[in-house]
Amino acid sequence: MRVVIADDVMLTREGIARLLTDAGLHVAAQVGDATSLLRAVGATRPDAAIVDIRMPPTHTDEGIVAAHQIRAGHPGVSVLILSQYVEPHYAMRLLDELPERVGYLLKERVFDVANLVDALRRLADGETVIDPTIVARLMARKRRVGPLDELSGREREVLALLAEGLSNRAIAARLYVTERTVEAHVKQIFQKLGLTTDPDSHRRVLAVLAYLRNPA
Amino acid sequence: MEHAEPAVAPGRLRAPPRLAAALRVAAGLTGLAAAGGALAIAAGPGQFTTYAGRSAAGAVLTSCAGLGMVVAGLVTVTAGGSRRAGDLSLLAGLTWFAPVWAAWQDGPPLIPSIATVAAGFTFPLIVHLVVAHPTGQVRTAAARIFVTAFYSEALVAAAALALFRNPYSDPGCLANCNVNIFLVRSLPRLARAVETFDRWFTATAALALIAMCTARLARSSLPARNRLLPVVGPAMIFAAALIARAAVLQVVTVEYPFNPTLFTIFAASSCALALLAAGQTSGVVRARSERRAVARIAASLDEAPAPGGLRSALASALRDPGLQIAYWLPSWRRYVDASGEKVSEPAVRPGRTVTRLTRNGRIIAAVTHSDAAPDIDDHIGPAIRLGLENERLRAELLAQLTELRASRARIVRAADAVRRRLERDLHDGAQQQLLALSYDIRLARAAAQADGNGQAELALAGAVEETAAALEDLRELAHGIYPAVLADAGIAPALATLADAAPLPVDLALAADRRYPTQVEATAYFAVAEVLAEAARAGADHATVIVAQRGERLVVTVKVTGAGPIPPMVALADRTGALGGSLITNGDEYTAEIPCG
Repeated sequence: MRVVIADDVMLTREGIARLLTDAGLHVAAQVGDATSLLRAVGATRPDAAIVDIRMPPTHTDEGIVAAHQIRAGHPGVSVLILSQYVEPHYAMRLLDELPERVGYLLKERVFDVANLVDALRRLADGETVIDPTIVARLMARKRRVGPLDELSGREREVLALLAEGLSNRAIAARLYVTERTVEAHVKQIFQKLGLTTDPDSHRRVLAVLAYLRNPA
Repeated sequence: MEHAEPAVAPGRLRAPPRLAAALRVAAGLTGLAAAGGALAIAAGPGQFTTYAGRSAAGAVLTSCAGLGMVVAGLVTVTAGGSRRAGDLSLLAGLTWFAPVWAAWQDGPPLIPSIATVAAGFTFPLIVHLVVAHPTGQVRTAAARIFVTAFYSEALVAAAALALFRNPYSDPGCLANCNVNIFLVRSLPRLARAVETFDRWFTATAALALIAMCTARLARSSLPARNRLLPVVGPAMIFAAALIARAAVLQVVTVEYPFNPTLFTIFAASSCALALLAAGQTSGVVRARSERRAVARIAASLDEAPAPGGLRSALASALRDPGLQIAYWLPSWRRYVDASGEKVSEPAVRPGRTVTRLTRNGRIIAAVTHSDAAPDIDDHIGPAIRLGLENERLRAELLAQLTELRASRARIVRAADAVRRRLERDLHDGAQQQLLALSYDIRLARAAAQADGNGQAELALAGAVEETAAALEDLRELAHGIYPAVLADAGIAPALATLADAAPLPVDLALAADRRYPTQVEATAYFAVAEVLAEAARAGADHATVIVAQRGERLVVTVKVTGAGPIPPMVALADRTGALGGSLITNGDEYTAEIPCG
């Protein structure tokens, strides 16, 4: 798998590159800003781009803007946004604007190379990746008594993994159950929450996240 | 620039009203009698010896000038002008008829004798009147000496002529050539010399008057000049006519009314006197109406006009809608309007004049008004000055309030900027270093694992956990100082994230999903954050946050349920107030209103 890394902090860039190289991935380019990133993506045609959300010049949302541009020019390239913020707003904005193969991970997560490689593979498989910390925060949100309380413990586990962007098969593997069992759980959950099931994994993730944030 | 003293206050130096009225009636009747008698004499014995007898034009000129001065005198006294000026006008009008009365050769001898003496006083009276205009008081020492010297000379000349001039032996006599009951001894050469001296002294005095009037007009402000000119201008023509008369009489000896040059000079001086009378009258009447209008303002000051109210009152009183008042704030070294807004220093422009008004020796305001208005310094009495001072003080308070508001808002902005920078510094500095540390520890752990050093691997695994916890804490800290999403995406996403992590269930109703000025967004955000934190501490079990824009204000409401008493949030109220907004507590409902226009 060929990867391009964009982060304005050289230490981070280098660290990620070394971990990925050690894990047997090919780092095609390392850049420090959005303009160089777009140029590198055009030149090297990678499978995935790992992009820091904050880059020069304004250090706000350059990463998300760059993700748009990559997707517009090179629809096959997965984009994994690295962020220092546990901020559902950015993650949901990303999912809302870019259909499929986008991820939002907290920065410290990437130094656990197994995590990082797993995220890149999931993106390559067409899944979505949302940082577990964000999902945990949303799952733990204080709420009035409602449909979420009717979910069983196992159903809550499945819901969290859905929100992280895992496919049914990936959830089944994670929970050591059959895919059919997961399908049954998902159907149950969506029924209880009043959500319509959507075969599109991406839209399913967004619907779950939106529900967790603001149950209608 | 000339500043006249305030006009004499009504009622001061006055005869009791009934007596004053009687005197006025008497003076009016005397004036009418003097005019009527003069016309009768002109038609009879004075037919060939007086200008009034020479022709109908002469009669009309004589009457208009004399009666005009009498009327001007009466109006001046009646309309509350200077009593002295009124008396002077009246006397000048009466003496104007004296040369005609002197021609009553077949009447009682006393009358032509007195008339001959009185005729010499018309010009001194006019000089006095003009020099004292418009207040009726001669204020400079030089002017006082001038007036006194002129009266003295007229008195001495009149006395000398009365005692030593024998009309029979006067080659220059015409109207009165036979009556002088005051004659003590006939000294024709002395009398002749006195007459010549008196003529040339008068001519010199006339020249001096013209010079004084010119100088006075030159140094006067435009409004003062406009007010002086109707009286001073005719007086200068009158004086010029006297000089011309002296020159002609040096040649022709006898003042023969049928001499065309002399009649022209007489006509000019008559017209000048009539104009002077008209100028005096209109000035007094106008001053009275203005004084009354200004007095009305003084009377209405009890009603405490709104800021700027005094301006419109003065503008309508002086019939000058463009009138502007700028208040002087000495401690700020600047002029402000009634609402405390800074204005540029009032300057004289074409058609506009600036009058600086003082109270107790200090400038309180500068009034920019029309040139046509009188010198308003005269008209503005202590009551209005007090009103102006009150408005000035209020303007100063308002200016201070504006400055205070601006400075509070600046403090909030500066504090927010510091928070924002601190948040960035934490992310870009400490957090990056912690990340690097966490990376190094992971490498070390991998190395320990490869070496089979189980103890080190365990310790380093613990260190990885601790760095992760430190990163988590740091992230929470930075978020609490200033959420990046608030700066990047605005109030609605920031409040959504706040609700995600709130210690109690929070429902959001965000109807204002657009960007507002940074300090407005920050204030709204921190208001919600603080109320939620306090409510949770007080045991609240639920909160609803409503954000909406109402007109020019962003209105943020937090309704909580189940909370115990919440202590007053002074810092939050200060912060909202600093932006000109308010924080209102109504039971369990907290509303911050922040101007966002």
